[in-house]
Amino acid sequence: MFLALTLHQFTDQFINGVTLGMLYILVALGLNIILGLMGVINYSHGSFFMLGAYVAYSLDPVVGFWGSILLAALIIGAFGMLFESTLIRPLYRRIPEYTLLLTYGTALIFEQIVRRIWGDDAVRFELPERFSGTLTVGNSQFPLYKDVMLVGITILVLALVWFLINRTNIGMIIRAGTRDAEMVRILGINMPMMFTLVFGIGSFMAGLAGALAAPVYAIQPTLASEWVILTFVIVIVGGIGSFWGAIVGGLLIGIVSSLMDLLWPPAVEMTGFLIMAIILLIRPRGLFGVEGLFE
Amino acid sequence: MNRVVRSPLLWTALVLAILPWLLPGANPFAGRAGFIDLGTTIAIFALFAMGFNLLFGHIGDLSFGHAMFFTIGAYATALFTKGFNVTVGSANLVWGGADSFFGSMALSLALGAALAFLLARLIVPRSSGIYFSMITLAFAQVVYFFTYKWDAFTGGEDGIQAIARPSLPGFAQSYLNASWHFYYFSAIVIFIALAILWWVIESPFGSVCHAIRENEQRAEFLGYDVRKYRVNAFFISALFPAIAGCLWTYYQQSITPDAGSIEYSGRVVMMSLLGGIQTFFGPMLGSFIYWQLQNDVSQITKYWEAVIGAVFVVFVLIAPRGIWGAVEDIEHYGLRSAVQRVFSRRARLETEMAEEVVSRAP
Repeated sequence: MFLALTLHQFTDQFINGVTLGMLYILVALGLNIILGLMGVINYSHGSFFMLGAYVAYSLDPVVGFWGSILLAALIIGAFGMLFESTLIRPLYRRIPEYTLLLTYGTALIFEQIVRRIWGDDAVRFELPERFSGTLTVGNSQFPLYKDVMLVGITILVLALVWFLINRTNIGMIIRAGTRDAEMVRILGINMPMMFTLVFGIGSFMAGLAGALAAPVYAIQPTLASEWVILTFVIVIVGGIGSFWGAIVGGLLIGIVSSLMDLLWPPAVEMTGFLIMAIILLIRPRGLFGVEGLFE
Repeated sequence: MNRVVRSPLLWTALVLAILPWLLPGANPFAGRAGFIDLGTTIAIFALFAMGFNLLFGHIGDLSFGHAMFFTIGAYATALFTKGFNVTVGSANLVWGGADSFFGSMALSLALGAALAFLLARLIVPRSSGIYFSMITLAFAQVVYFFTYKWDAFTGGEDGIQAIARPSLPGFAQSYLNASWHFYYFSAIVIFIALAILWWVIESPFGSVCHAIRENEQRAEFLGYDVRKYRVNAFFISALFPAIAGCLWTYYQQSITPDAGSIEYSGRVVMMSLLGGIQTFFGPMLGSFIYWQLQNDVSQITKYWEAVIGAVFVVFVLIAPRGIWGAVEDIEHYGLRSAVQRVFSRRARLETEMAEEVVSRAP
């Protein structure tokens, strides 16, 4: 009986970890594409995630549940493009560290704006009645939205991004640009436009993750800094500029930290960092990282 | 004579001596306690930021986690002074507490140095550039969660309160409890630390650091072991935040996990950049501006951080060399060309070409 219970708890936490990992992947992959192609460390990426959640929360009464999620992601994506073309673009001639400095400053501003508009306290985005049920498979029950829809949508988006990067012309340019942006520019590609587009895609993914997470996690102004640091850890674990790195890193950290919740709750927040420390010892560039990128 | 007048150490001593009067609105004869407190904060953060800046401004590595050394120094001092009783595994560790400034300073430095030694060997040789910034950020977060989560040892979220200021040999027990006395006591400690920092920057070691900042590859070709210099610079720059943390605990007489948070790391980054990174005084000026802004703006709006963020963003975009750097530019190029250089790439090229021509003339 005892063993059965723990096994049951184990599966539960494992699935929780997968859900969390999916959101991590969405956020981290967006950051990683931006970082890999442009060498921009976007500290405000966590703010885009947070803004996605808040915008979806505000739009929900107007356009309905799915509409609010899609629209929030699109708004954040467009906002990201505006952000890149006005604030980040002047910094490309400088060393990459300046992008971290700039986006750190803007993250402070975004946090205060959110506090000004939505207040200091957490808000709750209620899941519609029809999605709050469970799906029964065999004798296990899965929350319909959290474990089925959220995971399904994420996999769909990841597949689309994979297709975009690996099977389209734009993707070819992105991949080539990650290796040698200057060469691609010389070949006549409009790199500034590509950069803006990629930044938009990355922001879209962060906004989408935020909107999808909104009904499941509490939405509060401290979300941004919590998530951005974890996202950095995932990118370091997976390796800068690597598609599969972000996926493996996100799942690894999501699952292990959820399981840690069973084993030793005080250490949950530390899990990601410990995994990172161990992986850095073995592979300094992360699991799938390439040496010499942006160093 | 000229050398003495232009000596940064003389100016450091002067600034530290008159800092509480420098603050706008400060009146030495009335209501001075508030300015003294602000002055102490500025001075301690100046030391913290200048230590950080050895790494960022002088060798070119942006650490986004220097608050970990600050918080280690702060907690070492707090626990050394207050004592602790904690069980680790089956061992019961008890320390009754002690009243010794030199003891807590030595402990802060030792623990800060130990962590710096470990990290310098673990992460500095393996990472540079943006990897380095992200990894230092992540490791600082580990230290932060340690102080935040280990309730029995560090007091958790509430931290440690009611920490007595140390007694100094030859002075009365409560001598340092007066704001004035504490300010000048910490000013002396900070001055000694900054004198050492100045000596490091002016030494051949500092010159090689500058060479690495300007062109890492060229420094390597000249035969310098870049990796060794980066490790050493990281180690040295970690010691100053530890000293600042020690003073911070005594000043606040309490400590919370916030001291190790990303906000504190980011704060010194902002101070250094606002003041001017490639200069000795820049971070001190930055600390002055940051706290002065915080002090003034927070009276107007509770969203003062957004204002500071906006000021910082403007500096990153148009004056990345900070205020001190801008002053140097104006001195060097004249006001008109310096302003033009900010907005026009062509002006930058032209002024630089003009210099090239002048410097090559026989």
